[in-house]
Amino acid sequence: MSNDHDGTTRPDGAQFVVELSGVHKEFGDAKALDGVDLRIRAGEAVAVMGPSGCGKSTLLNMVAGLDRPTSGTVRVQGQDLGQLNEHGLALFRRRHVGMIFQFFNLIDDLPALDNVALAAQLTGTTAKQARRRALELLDELGVAHRKDVYPAALSGGERQRVAVARALMNRPALLLADEPTGALDSRSGEQVMDLLIDLNQIGQTLLIVTHDPNLATCCASRLVEVADGKVARERMLETQS
Amino acid sequence: MSERSEGTVKGSSGAVWRASRAAVKRRRVQTIVIGLVVFCSTATVLLALAVISAARAPFDAAFEAEHGAHVTALFDPAKATPEQLAATAHRPGVEAAAGPFDQAVVTIPADWVGHPPGPLTLVGRPDPVAAPVDRADLLAGRWATAPGEVVIATPGGSSARYLGTPLTTGTGLKLTIVGFATDMSQSAGGWVTPEQAAALHPTGRQMLYRFTDAATEQQLTASFADTTEGLPKDAVASGQSYLVLKQAFSAGADAYLPLMTVFGVLGLIVAALIVGNVVSGAVVSGYRHIGVLKSIGFTPRQVVTVYLTMVSVPAVVGTVLGTAAGWAASYPILQAAFSGIATGTAVIEPAGWLPAATLISVPLLVALAALVPASRAHRLSAAQAISAGSAPRGGRGLKVQRWLSGTRLPRAVSLGLGQPFARPARTALTMAAIVLGVVTVTVTTGVSSTLAKSMTAPDRKTHIDVQTSAFSENKIAPRLTPEQTEAMLHSTPGAERVSVRGLVRVGIVGQPQLVFADFYGGDDMVDHRRLDVVEGRPATGLNEIEVGPAFLDQHGLKLGDRITLLLDGRQTTVTIVGEEAQGNPNAITSNDATRAQLTPDPHVVEYDVRLADGTDAAAYRKAVTDADPSLSTSVVTTGGEGPVVAITTFSTTFTVLLSVVAALGVFNTLLLTIRERRRDLGMLKSIGMTPRQVVAMTVTSVAWQGVVSGIIGIPVGVVVHRLIVEHVRIIDFPESQIDVWGAPLLAGLALAGVAIAVLGALVPARSAARLPIAEVLHNE
Repeated sequence: MSNDHDGTTRPDGAQFVVELSGVHKEFGDAKALDGVDLRIRAGEAVAVMGPSGCGKSTLLNMVAGLDRPTSGTVRVQGQDLGQLNEHGLALFRRRHVGMIFQFFNLIDDLPALDNVALAAQLTGTTAKQARRRALELLDELGVAHRKDVYPAALSGGERQRVAVARALMNRPALLLADEPTGALDSRSGEQVMDLLIDLNQIGQTLLIVTHDPNLATCCASRLVEVADGKVARERMLETQS
Repeated sequence: MSERSEGTVKGSSGAVWRASRAAVKRRRVQTIVIGLVVFCSTATVLLALAVISAARAPFDAAFEAEHGAHVTALFDPAKATPEQLAATAHRPGVEAAAGPFDQAVVTIPADWVGHPPGPLTLVGRPDPVAAPVDRADLLAGRWATAPGEVVIATPGGSSARYLGTPLTTGTGLKLTIVGFATDMSQSAGGWVTPEQAAALHPTGRQMLYRFTDAATEQQLTASFADTTEGLPKDAVASGQSYLVLKQAFSAGADAYLPLMTVFGVLGLIVAALIVGNVVSGAVVSGYRHIGVLKSIGFTPRQVVTVYLTMVSVPAVVGTVLGTAAGWAASYPILQAAFSGIATGTAVIEPAGWLPAATLISVPLLVALAALVPASRAHRLSAAQAISAGSAPRGGRGLKVQRWLSGTRLPRAVSLGLGQPFARPARTALTMAAIVLGVVTVTVTTGVSSTLAKSMTAPDRKTHIDVQTSAFSENKIAPRLTPEQTEAMLHSTPGAERVSVRGLVRVGIVGQPQLVFADFYGGDDMVDHRRLDVVEGRPATGLNEIEVGPAFLDQHGLKLGDRITLLLDGRQTTVTIVGEEAQGNPNAITSNDATRAQLTPDPHVVEYDVRLADGTDAAAYRKAVTDADPSLSTSVVTTGGEGPVVAITTFSTTFTVLLSVVAALGVFNTLLLTIRERRRDLGMLKSIGMTPRQVVAMTVTSVAWQGVVSGIIGIPVGVVVHRLIVEHVRIIDFPESQIDVWGAPLLAGLALAGVAIAVLGALVPARSAARLPIAEVLHNE
């Protein structure tokens, strides 16, 4: 029942996509994470909130394999990220994780379609196949008509939709979002929220880091509050429909 | 100015300085790159300028200080009286004149103060200290004041320890050396009192002229013709132009001039390109910083000042250190360039203005390169400046990237290929630097290959050089006569061929200086030292000689001309039948039969023995020295000497310098690109680009530029190589030595551009691969 793609199966039958156990992260004398334990089941949408500098972005980086813990273990999709070298981490991110950022991080020199296709092309998928899949995603996210437009000419909402499409390109088990509505106006922000809700409803596991309580309550089924590098509180949220 | 406004000015200049200092500290790598590029470029330019300036200026300075003779004329005493000659000093166009002086040629039959036996041209002159022309400088002793005293001309340096040495001429006349002197006009081999000269049965009368128009050979010829007009027919025996001496003076340096000029020009262009690129890049990559400075109240002028200060600090340090290094290196290089040249009183050192020139011009060049982008920063509003780094770009670059993204190439490669199109101006500058780097490598490879070919022995056999006691330090009395020695060398087992070389100094009728004459004999007259004849034919017949291009140049002769040689009171007229590839400007090569016309003594100095394959060279040498301990033997090794080593050294030095500068240019470009694209790189890594793919992408972005640079640079380098080797005046390379370009060599050179590019790209590529993604994505 359990396999690499489906996550780890626990004796109680639950599948955990993300498992953080006693994770510490220090930057010099500063403690960014101080013994964090966190588990996220497949299909779950978890929002992480907390004040600036509490360690929530560091937590996201650990899960994405962008950074390594000082101590403790981070397992995603059953893989202990601490055991992977840089090459292994790159392959891990390519296969299992999609990321969306507050400032989109699109490549200015590539049009929307090629920005999305890029993620698949890195895996060796041919340009033709990658573009076909990218176009499908842009179509699903309602920005197919902007496929040939360069990021600078896209609106904030459109840029984030393109970024989401890129994040979904390799069908990741886990979608990580770092302040996905932070740089958007309220209307665009709502569009992105709707998009995340839709994705979760079709089974996409989400981990969202945000300052915005509205985003957390709209999109997540569980809220994790972080303070001073520790998980201060966890609570279930009412599912939005 | 009020106290407050004064305080404001002080405060703002302090802020500008602090901001500049912070900018330098924050961009350590960029600061080091600017410093290194400026250092290498300054040293290159200074070295090139030092040789170029030294080729002419020292001769002119010393010649003018001595009131050197524009023409040293020799007249037939039987045809022109002293009064007639003295009258020529007052002809129109004559600025000053000295003479007439009696000139005689005596023969010194034995070695004397380092000279081999041979003729000596003596001129009878009173002390020339205040002479209107040719004020020879006394280096040691005093001027000849009584009969029996002689002052010997020497090309330079003091020979005080030989003062008082007696000389006995072939006719038994005894002379005592009372002084050593040098003159840039090289008007005599020695000077005696006029009375002594008159007693030597002079064969000529010397007049020394300075003309009002003496800049060109044509002017000299015309002035001399005007001056001697009215003299009896055939009164003029010869006239030596100072321009010939000037050319002889710079002959060594002339060999390097084409090469140094090419490297100097290449160095300047590469320096300008790279400095411009580096500095522009520093300003462009700092636009956001500029915006921040403006937003907190820095005036546009202060912002420009911050940026000019930021690039000026490493530029000034690089210039000062580069000037010091170039200056220090220029002394040994000039010594090499002028070794063996009769420099007389000329002081061979780099021109004093050179450091000042580089210290002023290089920082100015850097400032100019910085001014263009800095003035753009001056014009930009704070908001524009902040967004300038991430502003959307357009044009063909994007189309190329789009097209590449649709190709079948691995995505990391296609991204790398497209990257340079995003900043075409920067790419063009970088490529230009790589092209020049390739040109440099090609030229050096070509020159080295040509020289290597010229040094390679015609056969691959082992040769033994056997020197007689006349030539070596071994002063044991010879046991065998030259004929017996030759027979012994032949009969010693292993000898395949023996050639004999005689060396003696001979005079040339009409020329005050003596020349070295090599007379070859024995089997085929082939010697490992004998040079290739590139024009005409080897001088194997009676009364035939071959000479180097420098000899022809400096004596105003050409192939087919005839000259008369003098030795031991005998003379013979010879024809120049061959031009050697290179050679001493004061040396001729002939054969034993021609020598016999001048002297019965073969003057043998060495033998060249070609050994049969499989012969034990050590055993052969031992047998020879056992037979006659006065003989010295050595196995001949072909290797560089004189100009060959110097040219190879210069080429290598400049190639290393320019290649380093070109690689630094690539390094800097990539560093700037990576700095600008940190966010993109972070994003690419976040979506799964592996470190290896990052390195591949980064290296690809410059490797193709290296390939294109090779395609452009190699043909240019081949042409420049030909131009150089065809204009090295003291060496005349045959076509077989110029044409060095084989397919493997060209293929190797094609890699030079890629090598320079990849060399410069590796470190930035690795740093790109190691970029901390989390930090980049959250900070940008």
